[in-house]
Amino acid sequence: MRVLVIDPDPARAALVAEGLRGVDPLEVRKAATYDETEVAAFAPDVVVVASDSPDRDTLDSLREISPSSQRAVVMFVDRSEPGLAEQAVRAGVAAYIVDGLSPARVRPILDVAMSRFALIQQLRGDLAKAKADLESRKTVERAKGLLMKERGLDEDGAYRLLRKLAMDRGKPIGSVAADLLAFAGVLKGDAS
Amino acid sequence: MSGLADLTLGFIPLTDCAPLVVAKSLGLFAQEGLEVSLSREASWATIRDKVTVGALDGAHMLAPMALASGLASDGSGAPMLAPLALNLNGSAITVSLGLAAAMRALDPEGMAAEIITARPLARLVEQRKEHGAPPLIFAVVFPHSMHNYALRYWLAQAGVDPDRDVRLVVTPPPRMVDHLQSGGIDGFCVGAPWNAVAMSEGVGEMLIKASTFWPGGPDKVFGLTQAWAERHPGELRAALRALLRAAAWCDEPGNHAELVALLSRPEHVGAEPEVVARALRQEIVFHRGAAGLPRREHALWFLSQMVRWAQVADDLDLAAVADRVYRPDLFREAALSLGPILGPAQAFEDGAASVPAALFDGVSFDPGDARGYAAGFAISRARA
Repeated sequence: MRVLVIDPDPARAALVAEGLRGVDPLEVRKAATYDETEVAAFAPDVVVVASDSPDRDTLDSLREISPSSQRAVVMFVDRSEPGLAEQAVRAGVAAYIVDGLSPARVRPILDVAMSRFALIQQLRGDLAKAKADLESRKTVERAKGLLMKERGLDEDGAYRLLRKLAMDRGKPIGSVAADLLAFAGVLKGDAS
Repeated sequence: MSGLADLTLGFIPLTDCAPLVVAKSLGLFAQEGLEVSLSREASWATIRDKVTVGALDGAHMLAPMALASGLASDGSGAPMLAPLALNLNGSAITVSLGLAAAMRALDPEGMAAEIITARPLARLVEQRKEHGAPPLIFAVVFPHSMHNYALRYWLAQAGVDPDRDVRLVVTPPPRMVDHLQSGGIDGFCVGAPWNAVAMSEGVGEMLIKASTFWPGGPDKVFGLTQAWAERHPGELRAALRALLRAAAWCDEPGNHAELVALLSRPEHVGAEPEVVARALRQEIVFHRGAAGLPRREHALWFLSQMVRWAQVADDLDLAAVADRVYRPDLFREAALSLGPILGPAQAFEDGAASVPAALFDGVSFDPGDARGYAAGFAISRARA
């Protein structure tokens, strides 16, 4: 079986392709965009496409029977499993079957794609959070430094003052620190 | 904010998503009690699927997609409603500069005509056949779209069979101009702003605009599932009121600079302000003349073209589909409830009076005989 993964996100495409090697497919190929000539040469049995790929519509249009289409293309929707189609849509994956492959053979491919998409989303979410945490820690350090210099506090005293400001305002300490730095900037004439 | 219903609405980065962007950005949804998130999508198929499963509550949608969704011949998608037309006009047929030059060489008069038909193209297609050249390739955005039907109609009107004499492919709008430039396609029919982009980048020549092809012809709708509309009548009405107010705002010339700025932003259409401005100035109608009314005759014209190009089953009850999907009653109720804000409310009350479809070739369309119309063309796949 030949599987083509079309995904504008190279990291995600690689992860899906890697995951599919564990399933039964014989050959897996990935592409950032749909290229008619390449697709015709590879002749996939299944195409997995990311919902955020604009090429999704080109694939969807192949479901239309036209004089030039030689192979029947259908969107894979396993109706025996309620909720599966919804799960795939929400995960951001669609699968198209060329020439009537059985659902039993396509299902594991869709499962792998969905799980890899979820994994990437989680990893990216974690990374964004880690970056935000780091950013907030840096901001707090800088705000502490400012308070130590301007108010003659020691490090512990500066931190306690920031924490009190945060509690009084009901805001995260990172955001209070950012406000403090912004105001200090204005007072120094940075934001003219 | 409490008390507001949360809705997620999808859109494709095209100029005619304007009413959604404006209703959100100007706070019109919020004024109607809705907390709306807009979700920019990359393809129409994804819009259809997300609306079907409820990942989107409603969306900017190709009018024929709303009609075809849920039909056995479509095989995917839930039954949809179109309670509001988002715009009239807006698309155009553009060809590469090379193709335009070849057409001009064969038929200079045809290319200089006030209304450019596909006659010059028909001559070129004949010549290419004699020389054994491969068929020219034209792109549209989706099989169930005004763009597909307009291009097919325009080609067939001059004797070019869209299935046999040329090749039609589906290409995503943002890639149209690149493909035209690289020679992957020879022409396309797409919505704004992409025709203007092709011209401003010097890679294409626009031959016919939708407003010439069919003045006041239909294009996009606000689409949602029938099931959602039944469960959320209050939210639907609120959304329609906000979108109607937004459409009226969009048509106001004094607001165009602000509209262009809003649409040009990368999270919306993300195109140069000048090209966005061009289509707005010349073409698209959002509100004037009850433009938002989902007209039964528009639905039936789309269905006639689905019959003509064999996209639907022979025994499909066209009038029943039109009346199930197109819901002028929902539009009218929302419009009249706004009263003088949109004035004259009267326009919406008589809005149901049908406007005869006036296509560029003068062939008249009788909504009562959509099948006869479809089968009556010299080039038609309709099984009469």
